[in-house]
Amino acid sequence: MTPAATTFHLPHPAVRRHTTSEPPWVRRLLIGLALGFISLFLFLPLIFVFTQALAKGIGFYFHTITDPMAWSAIKLTLLAAAISVPLNCVFGVCAAWAIAKFDFPGKNILLTLIDLPFSVSPVIAGMIYVLVFGAQGWMGLWLNADNPSFPWLANWLNEHNFKIIFAVPGIVLATIFVTFPFVARELIPLMQAQGRSEEEAARVLGASGWQTFWRVTVPNIKWGLLYGVILCNARAMGEFGAVSVVSGKIRGETNTLPLHIEALYDEYNYAGAFAVASLLALLALVTLGLKTWIEHKNAALNETEKSA
Amino acid sequence: MSVEVKNITKKFGNFTALDNVSLKVESGELVALLGPSGSGKTTLLRTIAGLEFPDNTGEAQVLFYGEDVTQIPASERKAGFAFQHYALFRHMSVFENIAFGLRVRPKTTRPPEAEIRERVEKLLKLIQLDPLANRFPSQLSGGQRQRVALARALAVEPKVLLLDEPFGALDAKVRKELRRWLRQLHEEVHITTIFVTHDQEEALEVSDRVAILRAGKIEQIGTPEEIYDKPASPFVYDFLGNVNLFSGRVKDGAVVIGDTEFDAADTEGEKDTDAVAFVRPHDIRITREPGGQKTFAARVLRSNAAGPVANLELERVQGGGQFSAQMSKEEFQQLQPKAGEQVFVELKNVKIFSDDYSI
Amino acid sequence: MLPGFKLTLGFTVFYLGLIVLIPLAAVFLKTSSLTWNEFWQTVTMPTAIASYRITFGASLLAALVNAVFGLIVAWVLVRYEFFGKKIVDALVDLPFALPTAVAGITLASLYSSKGWLGQWLEPLGIKVANTQIGIFIALTFIGLPFIVRTVQPILEDLDPELEEAASSLGANRWQVFWRVIFPMLTPALLTGFALAFARALGEYGSVIFIAGGIPMKTQITPVVIMQELDMFEYGKATAIAVVMLVASFVLLLTINVLQWWTNRYNTNNLA
Repeated sequence: MTPAATTFHLPHPAVRRHTTSEPPWVRRLLIGLALGFISLFLFLPLIFVFTQALAKGIGFYFHTITDPMAWSAIKLTLLAAAISVPLNCVFGVCAAWAIAKFDFPGKNILLTLIDLPFSVSPVIAGMIYVLVFGAQGWMGLWLNADNPSFPWLANWLNEHNFKIIFAVPGIVLATIFVTFPFVARELIPLMQAQGRSEEEAARVLGASGWQTFWRVTVPNIKWGLLYGVILCNARAMGEFGAVSVVSGKIRGETNTLPLHIEALYDEYNYAGAFAVASLLALLALVTLGLKTWIEHKNAALNETEKSA
Repeated sequence: MSVEVKNITKKFGNFTALDNVSLKVESGELVALLGPSGSGKTTLLRTIAGLEFPDNTGEAQVLFYGEDVTQIPASERKAGFAFQHYALFRHMSVFENIAFGLRVRPKTTRPPEAEIRERVEKLLKLIQLDPLANRFPSQLSGGQRQRVALARALAVEPKVLLLDEPFGALDAKVRKELRRWLRQLHEEVHITTIFVTHDQEEALEVSDRVAILRAGKIEQIGTPEEIYDKPASPFVYDFLGNVNLFSGRVKDGAVVIGDTEFDAADTEGEKDTDAVAFVRPHDIRITREPGGQKTFAARVLRSNAAGPVANLELERVQGGGQFSAQMSKEEFQQLQPKAGEQVFVELKNVKIFSDDYSI
Repeated sequence: MLPGFKLTLGFTVFYLGLIVLIPLAAVFLKTSSLTWNEFWQTVTMPTAIASYRITFGASLLAALVNAVFGLIVAWVLVRYEFFGKKIVDALVDLPFALPTAVAGITLASLYSSKGWLGQWLEPLGIKVANTQIGIFIALTFIGLPFIVRTVQPILEDLDPELEEAASSLGANRWQVFWRVIFPMLTPALLTGFALAFARALGEYGSVIFIAGGIPMKTQITPVVIMQELDMFEYGKATAIAVVMLVASFVLLLTINVLQWWTNRYNTNNLA
């Protein structure tokens, strides 16, 4: 519409109004409400994190995040993510391949079970590993039994004082659990929508199973995969409740970044806690940025496909 | 008493959808707006419905039976509108879809429940879907959906019925059935109806009058016979059916193509000038014997006799240029033209347009 | 037939069993070591009952508030143009991306009596930190993206012709919204609501800092479980966890049914 370019007198606003939109005051009210809500609940907290992080100056900020305890937490967080993300990635691709490319009974049950970790409270997620691997749990009973099965393994584990709970393996396991469905639930609908014909065509043309996967499937799912990986990674690095149950919170050893934040906060070192928190907030912003970028990219891709 | 639009101009960005369009539809008339996509026909229909508003508010007018409704939004205009993709409410049954327009009326004018029921049931009978009242739109076929959409529009007793490509999304067989049904329906309820289509056959068969639109303007309006027999422009001529073009010269009441002279209507007074002759394929007569000054020679390229008529692709021997001809099965069997053979061509009903035109 | 079915399905089931199913089964096995009486006494002890009420109530209220504001945010993002719209759209997912501990200490500090928001609310007699209001605030934060992200795509795909049809039949804007748009959004809205509610029920990190964990007053159920774990009362912790798990599974089932319902109108029986 180019009303300004015409010489006709301006119409009454009520007339110009398109049938499927609201009067301007309603629009303004709704935009105001939405922006108010978003500012109060999202924008303000985000600004607050960074302001508080720098409350005691830039020197204190760098001192806090380069502190050996902080470094150890950063390393442990990266380690947990570096193990859980690739594992869940492989799982996600396998699950999506089986579910999208084949028909078998029990598919819907499998789909529901894959989503299960999302509906389990993080505290319970941590607790289940304590029940299985803790000193009072199944593994503890086995190790402390007078006459355990697989005695050689029990002896070896006892000698090396191998622990899962209140140690790194427990943290990794809990992280895997809470991030379990991320990649799979991105890939399954995507691969279901893409169907099987391209892979079947590749097979007919003589490609091997691996060639089909790498040359046909992967290029088709790479953005969805990346999307799942980004979300999975964000949750892996930020998990608090589940890790908090299994970690034992030994400083410099079993504290991840979120646990380190809690420790600093509980010591009333607020500026320190927010300094470390700002690292994770930055991670969140990067995650959102990448997410938006991929969505943008995908939308553009769909556009060109439509016009082709 | 009529539906009338005056001087409507509507732009979308730099695209002019309607360029100072005026149109008058008499009461009880069934008028088709025919044109290619982008010609502005749907925008005109939506403007009449109050779903779009003209840009030139001061000059433009939409009149329903003399009453100026230009400023009145769709919800108060009382124009029944049926959408190309039906726009049925998926969460409502067929019955509730039809009743919608009555139920949303303000309390003071809303008919009592019993009357709503009665009216909806009457409409269900009219569209022959009374056994399906409790179905949801997803359980209906395309043709059934379109009939529900029409009943829904009729339920509010509109002053004018506006149909946007009413048969556009249906397959060929259902289209023909519904076309006939719409014509019957119109004779029964006799409501002023305007419908948009890009299918010339549909427009010519169903409507009392056809308005042909091109690039935001009405190119010609008239009865189907008028516009078919006396097209006002090369565009109309071309749009209404297949056409062959022959370049030649106009010379006192005749057109000369190559060395051959043909009679042409409406060329009196034309000067000796270059011109393009328009001839429909079924107005081309083919013989084995030369007709002297009345025919020219051509070579058969292809022939196809599948279907009710036979089609021939030919090429002029002198000067080249391909064209197509149509003949009855009997003629085809008598002639038995083979590819590569030479035949002689006579042109009938040659039409000359004075303005420059290219297809 | 494509290759790899046995390999991929085999790995999927193996990994699912190892990471999720066997450890989860441990909860139910551990509970079965309790007598029914012990179990019942644990799950009905006053602190537990109070925690259910607090968790359930705050989650429900937060999901309700999100349903209203989430719908408005989704509506505004889909229908209107305004400055900063792209940033707002991206920011909606912040609660998904921001670690809960960060959200927890941030909300706790914002609403503390000296915080940016708390200092204005306290003179009005509204205490947020260490109260149930604080729990509600944290759960609202956590649940915000669920409603927006389930309603948004449905709203985007709504055919404008439906609204035009309603309008040409004489419906005013409000009637168009209530009778045509809202019923089509309802399944998505309910799904989003259930998702936000489910997430809120199990939430821990973002709540504990602002809630303060006062028994009977601001202790949510995950905190009660945590406390029992800290005292090595694994039996008790497990019993309460079973209550939570059953509640979550019922919700999961509800969500699946709702999602099926969302797609109900889209199935075309006659194609």
